[in-house]
Amino acid sequence: MVRSKTPLFLLAVLLAPALVGLVVFRLYPIALAVSDSFFNMLRGNQVFVGLDNYVALFTDSAFWKSLQVTLWFNLLINPIQIALALGLALLYVQKFKGVAFYRVLFLIPIGVSLPTAVIIWRIMLSPDGLANGVLNIAGIPGQPWLTSESLALYSIIAIATWKGISYWMIFIIGGLQNISPEIYDAARIDGARAWQRLIFITIPLLKPTLLFVLVADVSINFLLFAPIFMITQGGPADSTNVLMYEAFKSGFIFGDMGRAMSIIVVVVAILLVIVGLQFRLLNGKPEKK
Amino acid sequence: MMHGTPHALKKGIGFGLKHAAYLAIAFIFVLPLWWAIVSSLRPNTEVFADIFPFTAKALIPSPFSLEAYQGVFDRGFGLIIANTMFVAIVTMIGGLIVNGMAGFAFAVFDFKSKNAILTLIIISFMLPFEAIALPLYTVTLQLGWLDNVAALIVPSVANGLAVFLFYQFFKEVPKDYLEAAKLDGASWFDVLVRIYVPLSIPTCISAGLLLFVFQWEAFLWPLLAMPSQQFKVIQVGMAAFQQQYQTIWNQLFAVSVITALIPIALLLPLQRYYVQGLASAGIKG
Repeated sequence: MVRSKTPLFLLAVLLAPALVGLVVFRLYPIALAVSDSFFNMLRGNQVFVGLDNYVALFTDSAFWKSLQVTLWFNLLINPIQIALALGLALLYVQKFKGVAFYRVLFLIPIGVSLPTAVIIWRIMLSPDGLANGVLNIAGIPGQPWLTSESLALYSIIAIATWKGISYWMIFIIGGLQNISPEIYDAARIDGARAWQRLIFITIPLLKPTLLFVLVADVSINFLLFAPIFMITQGGPADSTNVLMYEAFKSGFIFGDMGRAMSIIVVVVAILLVIVGLQFRLLNGKPEKK
Repeated sequence: MMHGTPHALKKGIGFGLKHAAYLAIAFIFVLPLWWAIVSSLRPNTEVFADIFPFTAKALIPSPFSLEAYQGVFDRGFGLIIANTMFVAIVTMIGGLIVNGMAGFAFAVFDFKSKNAILTLIIISFMLPFEAIALPLYTVTLQLGWLDNVAALIVPSVANGLAVFLFYQFFKEVPKDYLEAAKLDGASWFDVLVRIYVPLSIPTCISAGLLLFVFQWEAFLWPLLAMPSQQFKVIQVGMAAFQQQYQTIWNQLFAVSVITALIPIALLLPLQRYYVQGLASAGIKG
């Protein structure tokens, strides 16, 4: 074994840059968010205010409305994205002549950044845009996709889903390729139909991958920012005002960093609880990952 | 014999349905980008032509014009592309060295609390950058890096996912190579540079793509870290462009097309590496 002659100096040189980077730019900011949330700026000085920022937050109806929007948004977007990504992955791994062509096309949104997708879709969904033009053929009247209180949130879900599912598909493909083909052969011999193979073999065997995708997807969507910043800025009538945008607004538009940090702390705390619950429920037993 | 025909017919219908389904889905993925490309190649007044009523002509660039691309570069978009390239490439090179070294250390050496540190690193990449963007702004203030390019590059160099990819790969390299080289009197530096680095080229490509794409797509962080916008990167530049020139549609599309096609041109030939990098992270993570 190499263990006996581990050169400590070399080890420190190899590890230090990465570890210092992760501590200073990942761990320290988290600690800073928690500590900053106990302070407020008063006449240019940071003043310790204890839990005041949190008390103010929890008695503020704007916060509760924003929390409600965030939860509803996530309750919709995550199951939709994962179901579609699974379906797409199942299509991707099929083997037939010409499938390579489709595979390349399925991967296209990965190269399109979210802000790019937002700009293109924003014009497509504008009143004179392509979406309404296509609907017009079917005789459906044009919709105010991004400017109506009842549609804006769902349009953002659609845009983020278009951009996101190819990315999640990749992880699921990795999981699918790990399932041995013999299991499917055996099931086929036993007369299991395609949907039975999907529900009783693929999904259970894919559970670790799906759990990973679910946790990672929820984490991203819980903190989604770019489309809201670029299209609706929380509106119309706060219908898309998710907590991440509320935090940005507090800190960088109204200059209230204490409130911004306390919102971030609350968002990450809720996220951790949700992720913990997902592990509990989906892993069967509480065990370490 | 006749009974071959219904079978062939059934197969033919199945074939047609399958391709129709794949085409329909591929169409949804391709359409926005296609329409963006087509519209960027039209004069601005013609962008919304052929949509009401919708005709297939909406999907071809006619009348054709390159004025949008010229306009975009006249507005200084070339500099924004160069800025972003600089940030992304420096991050990629720095990230490959820093994270590769850490992955090597985790894979080759045994030391106290190795597994605990490794677990922390894995957790660090599960938490999206957005979660720490606001407090990271405060860190940047403390470092005096606000409006400094360092604020865009340095925090993104150390990357948990890249460390993990290198660790996973180096772990599988047979220890015999290492023992033999050490017996021949090679230094650790030689071992790393002459044995491990050449073997890890595919992992370098995977990790390099991840780092490059991460910087290319960065939006919230450059928005916060560069408030004066003296040094613009592409996603923020594009968003600002959108707010400033709301109705110069063809130029907006040209900006989007350029922003999308550069990473796509990089990802398509290297998609195997990118997919492998992400997929293996998913399985092990």
